[in-house]
Amino acid sequence: MQPMQRRIIYIIVLILGLAWIRVSADPSGTSATGKIPAPQPGFPAPNFELKTPQGETIRLSDMRGQAVLVNLWATWCPPCRAEMQTIETVYNEYKDQDFTVLGVNMTYQDERLEIMPFVNEQKLTFPILLDETGGMASGYQLKSLPSSFFIDRAGVINEVVIGGPMAEALLRTRVEKILK
Amino acid sequence: MITIFRSLFAPPRHLILFLPALWLGLSLSEKRADRYHISKDMLNNIVFYGMLGYLLGGRLLFVVANISAFMKSPLSLFSINLDLFDPVGGFVAALLVGFGYGQRRKLPLWSTLDALTPLFAMSAIGLALAHLAAGTAFGSLTSLPWGIDLWNAARHPTQIYELILSVLVFGFIWFRKTSPPVGSDFLWFLALTAGARLFLEAFRGDSELIFGGVRLAQVLAWIVLALTLLVSEALRSTKRSIKQNPPLPK
Repeated sequence: MQPMQRRIIYIIVLILGLAWIRVSADPSGTSATGKIPAPQPGFPAPNFELKTPQGETIRLSDMRGQAVLVNLWATWCPPCRAEMQTIETVYNEYKDQDFTVLGVNMTYQDERLEIMPFVNEQKLTFPILLDETGGMASGYQLKSLPSSFFIDRAGVINEVVIGGPMAEALLRTRVEKILK
Repeated sequence: MITIFRSLFAPPRHLILFLPALWLGLSLSEKRADRYHISKDMLNNIVFYGMLGYLLGGRLLFVVANISAFMKSPLSLFSINLDLFDPVGGFVAALLVGFGYGQRRKLPLWSTLDALTPLFAMSAIGLALAHLAAGTAFGSLTSLPWGIDLWNAARHPTQIYELILSVLVFGFIWFRKTSPPVGSDFLWFLALTAGARLFLEAFRGDSELIFGGVRLAQVLAWIVLALTLLVSEALRSTKRSIKQNPPLPK
């Protein structure tokens, strides 16, 4: 191919590229993530309503305006147990800045009688919720324990950490991000 | 089928998919190394140091960017958490380390990049598979019959589009007859990959939008494509000029 022919092809390709960028622009921003709640960064966090072991009902939607860490855990899960103290430390450090933790126990696949002894032994002070039907786990498409969802003040998931135990620095960086 | 695949390789297991792709890509690069007059050992070393640079650089840059968090818990520096990582920083570190190694060993830049191209192309396939397994790089809403149910909506299967295009790019790179100028395999890979991203981004549901709803990734892909074509043309011109004006015999 002659150099001139090739250069003309290059220019045509680049012009077509620019046209494609223009055509596929999304001025309304509707294609980007959207308003459908889903357990994925960028999406509104799916709402849930669960009871604490004391019988109090807590809804995620009631936490709007606060930065929230939703941590899914079970007593039989070693990494879940291992990261609880770190979560407690970071919770105490940031709770005065409108940060809260919801520790959602996967009660439908856990031993109910072991939950409170574990919570007391670890001296956890953040709210513990019980997912007795698996409805919350299903809404959050739970694949592995522990799973942690960092939700910003607007109720949008900012970060998802699957697996654990989470390092203290990781927790701090994520919490500071959702507090901004 | 996709559901089974996604549940088998759900995060964080999805990264497993990337490893065989790297291994296969490196094996294929080794197979072709002689063609570019690069020794297999050199190729293995550059990949090894590049990966080391990626891992260490990614962690160190994350630490630097979040130094206050690490000051309070310095032991986190040695945590095995994959999330304590800056992938872009890691990538830049890998490039710098690889380039530094190449310079030190006096490896010819374009031939080395050509030799590494099968590895790059295979990594792109691994990345598409990892995206599919994790449900990341997801598509915008669609009512087309081939839409997949992901994140509570029917969406363009952008990860599958990405997989198909990366396989096609690999096929093109692998089966094309290597022709001068040197560096053309790598530049073809770069141009095709940038073109594929420019095209596919239009169907993504997670695009970062800039002014007027323009998708940032498309702009970056266009710039990469333009630079690649420019460099390719410059390499051809250099070769022509050497042919027309050979250096004087000593």
